[in-house]
Amino acid sequence: MNGSKKLLIAGIIISAFFVVIGCVWLSLSAETLDEVAEHFGASESPVWAPPIPDYEIPGLEENLAANIFVGILFTLLILGVTFVAGKALKTGK
Amino acid sequence: MATLTAMFFAAQMMNYPIVGGTTAHLLGGPILAITLGPYAGLISTTIILLIQALFFGDGGITTFGANVWNMGVIGVFIPYILCLFIMKTMKNRRGMLIGAFLGALIGDVLAAIFAGLELGLSILSFPYSVPIAVTAMATHHLFIGVGEGIITAMIISVLWKARPDLLQLPKVAPTWMGELPITSGTSEVHK
Repeated sequence: MNGSKKLLIAGIIISAFFVVIGCVWLSLSAETLDEVAEHFGASESPVWAPPIPDYEIPGLEENLAANIFVGILFTLLILGVTFVAGKALKTGK
Repeated sequence: MATLTAMFFAAQMMNYPIVGGTTAHLLGGPILAITLGPYAGLISTTIILLIQALFFGDGGITTFGANVWNMGVIGVFIPYILCLFIMKTMKNRRGMLIGAFLGALIGDVLAAIFAGLELGLSILSFPYSVPIAVTAMATHHLFIGVGEGIITAMIISVLWKARPDLLQLPKVAPTWMGELPITSGTSEVHK
């Protein structure tokens, strides 16, 4: 196995670890900017309805396994999108 | 680039507690800038912000441009420039770690100051003035910046010892900035 493949596999494993830790802690925490905004009386008026609001599948809120699944799925999606973007940049160069 | 971007998307899900009863998470811009260069770091951060806004409503659509400016431009280019500046005078491991720490800290705080400025100027939807918003954001992000700086320096330290090749990847940077001096000689890396 070459260095790039090892790095890729290590990256996926570390990312999965981050997702699990994040999902366990996420329900107990709040975003800093949200806290500051609420403190100053700002409120949300969304113009876009995201399919997975706040990283939780509708109907499966506070379901740890579903949250971990979403986190890992989108980590892999970002891996793919950035890989394609990186290839395009290299080709453009 | 893809592996690091995916890792920092996942890392942004890990919130850790800071003073004041709130939490923070790693932004990752400084590491992306140091390992890949600021242009590649900007693209990586933009991809993360776009996916977060479109699929999770995290960050938002109408604030996307502001977020890219704050976290993608300021949060990536400032750490790279500071690290570059320090590495030109201290071409060793200590210089790299100091550059990584200060770059991450100052990059985070400057990004927060810009966010405060943007909030304060949003007079139709935000009831507080620029000085109040900037002070609040800068104060909170000073602690976040210290956390980002420590974690960034720790990751760079580990990479320096275990995978110095990752610090020597070609940097996608404006020509006037150039490469971090670390890429010019492998012997420096192992000191």
